[in-house]
Amino acid sequence: MAEGFDIDHLAKLARLSLTAEEKALYASQLGQILGHFQTLAQADLPATADGARVVDESVLRSDEPGPILGAEVVTRIAPASRDGQIAVPRVVDDES
Amino acid sequence: MADALHELSAAELGRRLASGALASRALCEALIARHQAINDKFGAFTHLDEADVLAQADASDARRKAGQGRGPLEGIPVGIKDNVAVKGQPLTCSSKMLAPLVSPYDSHVAERLRAAGAILFGRLNMDEFAMGSSTENSAFRKAFNPWDLERIPGGSSGGSAAALAAGLVPLALGSDTGGSIRQPASHCGVVGLKPTYGLISRFGLVAFASSLDQIGPMARSVEDCALLLDALASADARDMTCFGPSDRALTPAGDARKLRIGVPKGFLGKGVAPEVATAVNAAVEFYRSQGCAVSEVELPSADLAVPTYYVVATAEASSNLGRYDGVRYGHRSAVSGTPVEMMTASRSEGFGPEVKRRILLGTFVLSAGYADAYYVRALRARAKIRAEYLAALAGVDVLLTPTVPTPAFKVGEKAADPLQLYLEDVFTIPANLAGLPAISVPCGKSGRLPVGFHLVGAPLSESKLLAAGRLFEDAHGYAHQQAPL
Repeated sequence: MAEGFDIDHLAKLARLSLTAEEKALYASQLGQILGHFQTLAQADLPATADGARVVDESVLRSDEPGPILGAEVVTRIAPASRDGQIAVPRVVDDES
Repeated sequence: MADALHELSAAELGRRLASGALASRALCEALIARHQAINDKFGAFTHLDEADVLAQADASDARRKAGQGRGPLEGIPVGIKDNVAVKGQPLTCSSKMLAPLVSPYDSHVAERLRAAGAILFGRLNMDEFAMGSSTENSAFRKAFNPWDLERIPGGSSGGSAAALAAGLVPLALGSDTGGSIRQPASHCGVVGLKPTYGLISRFGLVAFASSLDQIGPMARSVEDCALLLDALASADARDMTCFGPSDRALTPAGDARKLRIGVPKGFLGKGVAPEVATAVNAAVEFYRSQGCAVSEVELPSADLAVPTYYVVATAEASSNLGRYDGVRYGHRSAVSGTPVEMMTASRSEGFGPEVKRRILLGTFVLSAGYADAYYVRALRARAKIRAEYLAALAGVDVLLTPTVPTPAFKVGEKAADPLQLYLEDVFTIPANLAGLPAISVPCGKSGRLPVGFHLVGAPLSESKLLAAGRLFEDAHGYAHQQAPL
């Protein structure tokens, strides 16, 4: 089942930057773990996942405004803020 | 006070506080002094705001003096696992990713504890983001088992279990995604209960795997565990899956001697240490001697539980932990560049090895071309496991197994082999997959290391689990035990 396992692609999808040593270690360990998962591939399973959900009833609540933290609190816990807003690296180039 | 306060149960402390024989301040000062003296030996707590604790204690004493005591937990300290939000206190999940964060709000359970008059006491060590079974994955420091400081206390609620075993607090909160309350409870000789999925609100619990996560009580006795459970459970619209306990008190109920006990076939065989099997078999025989009907039950898909869990849990974790991007809170890398480069650097610097491993695994099982083979099949396996457990529990009241196959292992012994560590959870995982309540109760020792047994019941059968645990506890000497330190 684990054919095509590509640690570089996974790291990119997961937004993780890995060293060469980390890539080798995780590729080896994930291969071993996925090998253990072969029992799932070979198991006789129901045709659907009906019944996998523990809470069956609809759990959507009404869409009503509730309390919020407020800008002062949100910017206080943010890593960087400026003028009452969260600061991030430039997203759009001036030229574009 | 002639007695050592750290040796007393929460129930006894409650009686003394109610009678005026004890003040919460005196109790908290004694526990703070004990923390100062011994916590460094085993690292149960990663943070304790002594001034805040004493201020809470003074407020509690003032309420009681004014005749405005709030209930059975008034003035009693409760240790808080560091993935449960308490306003004004660090909320780190034992991760460098969240090390700078001070929670701006209270979790639902923190609100419940304050409403019950409890003292919210410190931040308890854990495996980073609750991923682990040994508390070796804490980014700040490893925790050790107070019964043997060369061994792990279990995890991920290892700090909670160690704090109880060492008498640092009478009560503690844990969280349980695949056994993280029950496994450390077993290794440290205390009681831990994972409630029915939906009984306790997760509002303010840092999410790991949302279809499995539950908050639950830990204590040195079943009675104390029930006391804390009753205070925590209530419906909360802020957790869409939380329906609460309706109007039932969550205390031991019914005649435990009439319970029908199922022992799953083969669960005491392969992989279970002989001393664990002996202690758990003795528990089975105890219940039989009390009049319980004991029978063998079949759970044919039990072997699927561990792979099913690790597909579902890592898939959900890879999604839940996508929120840590260095933008709104937590660690942001000093690496400059594009937003994506900043996010990638922040995540790579902030997450530890086990968290990265699980994010990568979860990303893989959800990725295009593989999701059907892994994630969708795991959901189908989960449905099958759940159906088998519910069918078994239609014929018996509780299922009895060991909590963990072996006693606590040595620190570092399984660090290089994550798969071996994942197999620690083989007996506890099914209750999470099926959303069932389960409890670990101490039942013996292997040398000086505690051993626990595990009871699983039908949804909302907490009262039966507590009654069964209480029956065993009353006839044996394991309640209120503390490690000699």
